[in-house]
Amino acid sequence: MLKTSTPPHRSLPFLQKASLLAGAGFLALAVGCNRDQVSHFRVPKEAPTAGSPMAAMGEAPAGMPLAEGDMPAPPRPSGQGSLKWSLPKGWSEATGEGMRYATFKSPVAGRNEATVVVLPGPAGGELANVNRWRGQIGLGPIDEAALAAARVVVKTKAGALNVYDFTSEGQTKSRMVAGLISTPDGNTWFLKLTGDAGPVAKAKPDFMRILESLRLD
Amino acid sequence: MIKTLASRIWAFFKSFQLTIVLLALLMLLVVFCTLAQVELGTAGAVNAYMRSFFVWHQFSFLSFPVPTFPGGGLVGLMLTLNLIAKTLDIQRSWAKAGMWLVHAGLVILFAGEFVAGLMQVDTNMSIEVGQTVNYVQSYKNMELAVIDTTDPTWDEVYSVPDTLLSKGGTIAIPGTPITLNVKRYFPNAELSNLGAGGQPSGATAGIGPNVAIVERPTVTNDNEMNMGSVLVEPIAGGHSYGIWLASMALGAPQSFTHEGHTYSLSMRLRRQYLPYSFTLKQFRHDVYPGTDIPKNFSSLVQVVNPSQKESREVLIYMNQPLRYEGKTFYQASFGKNDTLSVLSVVENPGWLLPYVSCVLVSLGLLVHFAIVLRRSLKRRQDKKEG
Repeated sequence: MLKTSTPPHRSLPFLQKASLLAGAGFLALAVGCNRDQVSHFRVPKEAPTAGSPMAAMGEAPAGMPLAEGDMPAPPRPSGQGSLKWSLPKGWSEATGEGMRYATFKSPVAGRNEATVVVLPGPAGGELANVNRWRGQIGLGPIDEAALAAARVVVKTKAGALNVYDFTSEGQTKSRMVAGLISTPDGNTWFLKLTGDAGPVAKAKPDFMRILESLRLD
Repeated sequence: MIKTLASRIWAFFKSFQLTIVLLALLMLLVVFCTLAQVELGTAGAVNAYMRSFFVWHQFSFLSFPVPTFPGGGLVGLMLTLNLIAKTLDIQRSWAKAGMWLVHAGLVILFAGEFVAGLMQVDTNMSIEVGQTVNYVQSYKNMELAVIDTTDPTWDEVYSVPDTLLSKGGTIAIPGTPITLNVKRYFPNAELSNLGAGGQPSGATAGIGPNVAIVERPTVTNDNEMNMGSVLVEPIAGGHSYGIWLASMALGAPQSFTHEGHTYSLSMRLRRQYLPYSFTLKQFRHDVYPGTDIPKNFSSLVQVVNPSQKESREVLIYMNQPLRYEGKTFYQASFGKNDTLSVLSVVENPGWLLPYVSCVLVSLGLLVHFAIVLRRSLKRRQDKKEG
């Protein structure tokens, strides 16, 4: 008769087992240690619209609303040099939060909003700003000639105001009506009406009346 | 005495009771983590409950947070050690080969989760149609980018991570004569125009002096973003260039010039530059006819990798990611009236471990079954012969 013999108990010696266990624990902890250090990259210069801090903020996490802080913080002008305006019936004004000088609420239903931002100096120039606005609604940049063609000059008591009106392509069309004007104290004022193309079209006549009413304080 | 203590510890680590307690703790953690997602968002809850060694709570009567529950990291580590201890206790004989394989597979599965938890990097790449991008950026982590913009074709980018800024003190920028003196770091702050009665930011140069800053509690929700801000004083050649405010809420970078080199400072989402670039050639957002219900999102990208002399077109669409150079690019989102595509980028050095684990466990079970079958057949044979 054949007998099956029980194999001798040959598990690892205690010390070996303990050191293996401790080693595994330390390895897991060591993996968790992450060193912070300054890193260096040499990269080709970026195109103005590509990956600018503004773009980085606006594009980053999926579904995040575009941050309004796409401009440097402006000094809040007061007294002589600041602009005044008159609001049409049904419109209301709120003091700006964060980087905005003021926000207008129109009585038109749907996504539309008007904002006022003021920046010191030429704020990068007209072409750069117009191209930045176009980028915000998914349009490509334009050159000086196209800029001049797109410009509508509105005469106000505060001086000439350059107004642009752009509508995006795609299924849900966005529209932006934006004006900019320099004041004698050297600041540049930006007044923008943005939103879905339909509501913006309805709010535009009133917004243009606000632009026409601009005057110096 | 020492031996008794050691064997007691050993007995504790390999005990089955410990396994039961740890599995119960893990179940509780899953419940707590799920509930916490309402307030903290997915990533915030997973980091607080699962990818930490302790769950911390800030009681109102204490000035510091205290650990209130073991975190997923600790429970996972103990479970792994428990499993390893049990494995090491298995006899080293061919009869137990299957059990060894099964246990090794489970240890690798646990290790895979550790590697993912500690080393997986989730980033994203946003590209507009026609644009070429050679970096991915973090969803939440930030950096202070100090960029030498002097060269007309290249930028020298020095990235100071927010985790380093939060420690304060002085930070030398290697390869430059600049040392940054971090005056104050705000993980989240609200900036506004400095009006009457406002709290000045404390900056003395750039646009900071015109800005008021108020610290805000940090947010972890998926839809919110921390506006990390920092007050730094660049010092170069023994000269201070003033105190600058850099913030996520300030888009445009600010710059100063030292010995003919212009350095810009900006706070932004942390970037990882890649040795290759993606150009978005086309983005498609198809809907079912007559509705707004999405049918398909796809990005046609040109992948250019000069080091591999590679330039090819790749179509990334839903459930069809691109695996490239250790990273996986998924179609995640879109924007700007279908002219912007957002790719979610995942880098997990341990992505193969769960597959290896599955193979080992399956193989182990098969081997064990074969051994038991053989033994049982042999016994039957013996009985017949006997």
